[in-house]
Amino acid sequence: MNLAIIQLTMRQLIGQKRSLLLFATALIPVLIAVVYRLSDLGTDQLASDQPRWVSRVLLSQLIVGTLLPLAALIFGTAAIGSEIEDGTAVYLLSKPIPRWQVVASKMLVAWVVTSALVLSATVVSVLIALESPLDYNILIGFLLAGAAGALVYTALFVLLSIVTSRALIVGLLYVFIWEAVLTRLFSGLRYVSVREIALGVADRVITAPAAVFSADLDGNWAVILVVAVSALLFLYAARRLAVWEIGEST
Amino acid sequence: MTTPTAIAPVSQPPAAAPAIEVKNVSRWYGNIVAVNDISFSLAAGVTGLLGPNGAGKSTLLHMLSGFLAPSSGSVNVLGESAWKNPGMYARVGLVPERESVYPFLTGYEFVLLSAKLHRLPDPAAAAARAINEVDLESAQHRATGSYSKGMKQRVKVAAAIVHRPPVLLLDEPFNGADPRQRLHMMAMLREMAANGTTIVFSSHILEEVERLAENVLVVVSGRLAASGDFRHIRRLMTDRPHTFTVRSTDDRRLAAALVADPAIFGVELRDERLTVRTSDFAEFTLAIPRIARAADVTLHELLPTDESLESVFSYLVKR
Repeated sequence: MNLAIIQLTMRQLIGQKRSLLLFATALIPVLIAVVYRLSDLGTDQLASDQPRWVSRVLLSQLIVGTLLPLAALIFGTAAIGSEIEDGTAVYLLSKPIPRWQVVASKMLVAWVVTSALVLSATVVSVLIALESPLDYNILIGFLLAGAAGALVYTALFVLLSIVTSRALIVGLLYVFIWEAVLTRLFSGLRYVSVREIALGVADRVITAPAAVFSADLDGNWAVILVVAVSALLFLYAARRLAVWEIGEST
Repeated sequence: MTTPTAIAPVSQPPAAAPAIEVKNVSRWYGNIVAVNDISFSLAAGVTGLLGPNGAGKSTLLHMLSGFLAPSSGSVNVLGESAWKNPGMYARVGLVPERESVYPFLTGYEFVLLSAKLHRLPDPAAAAARAINEVDLESAQHRATGSYSKGMKQRVKVAAAIVHRPPVLLLDEPFNGADPRQRLHMMAMLREMAANGTTIVFSSHILEEVERLAENVLVVVSGRLAASGDFRHIRRLMTDRPHTFTVRSTDDRRLAAALVADPAIFGVELRDERLTVRTSDFAEFTLAIPRIARAADVTLHELLPTDESLESVFSYLVKR
């Protein structure tokens, strides 16, 4: 890790316009949670249905399924991709710093910023939507899922931005075609879906019955995949950056 | 304007070893050969890299700076391979061609970042010194996003020299600089070269190269068309006549005397100006005082008119 690169990347990611848009986007699940509580609050039917709606709709679909990949895509591709695109990457790469340290610092910042955004949205929206503190086990499960998913997604998108100048488009295709459509049609693809891996991590922690929440991927497998896939993505990204050539990304 | 202070590199290569050594280097992209079997070596001093657009000079500079792998051959900087060797940058400074710098950083922060990335013992002092060297103190606390093109060039140079590298590579360093800034930067680079730094810079402005570089590398169609002192290169081009203008007490009589000399190709007297073409530079410069004396003519001025880098360059490119 390199402190100067970490500080620089933090300023880059937080200061850019699309990050500000993303912070606004993070309010959407919070607003939906508010509308949910205001519309049906106090009915007996809702009280029993709350954990199910929160875990399956609010957290699985809105936060893990949409906000998490979107935030990771924006921050992950911007962490080094925007510097490669505008030519400023040369100022970092022409320094006596091993390239793996550049990649590690960039991935760390992208992961921290993505996690901070997604976990804040998760905490606030769950506290608004869930009435009973007994159901907060769901919150813990999804906080871990958010952090684990952010780790794999940002590693993937940082790598993509090193190998292609079209990382944003490739990332969008992965999230909204591969994960949102193909993985649901063919269950065997769940092992190569970050979304399914993140939900598997949540499942490993959440003790609620399957009717409330269950994931397609086994929890233990999900944890192994988070570690293994993140490590492989990091190693490959470091290797690609070590042989990165000016004008290479296409 | 601040006078450039003496800038000596922290460490210098051993005197015998060339700072930059390029051996039989080629680089191709698919079927296109960008650089074709180029070899040269450079020691301390200023070398200008010249060539028409698409000749391969950027490819060559990128290979020198470790940002492109040679398809064949080797590029060594200070005795180490340039490719896949980030450790090399501790002794190499690079000024890239692209104008972009981090727009949210001030000039000082940008140079300080470079000093920190080099892990210098006192990055703040090193940054302040480098900013002083490029004469940018007055704007150092402004965001670089508000800088003019010339100021961006200077802050890039400051970031590249913050660790006092013995090798400095600059891609079009004078782009956008006004004449005053250009003169200041040229003086600074000359000073660095005099103190033992090996400087290679590319430029498409021949006058800049002519004023700054004692040595040139001319790349044409991916090949090294010439290297060395351009005046010396010109003299070696014996298939091209050398042209001189002469002023004397009696140009007409001198023209008549010169036309009889076998080394002289042609003599022209037009608008009271005598122009002489010869195939042998050395012999002509020795012969003309003798011829003038024999013709009882006093020479006032003898000026080679096609010894400029521009004429050398155009000869090489048209070959």
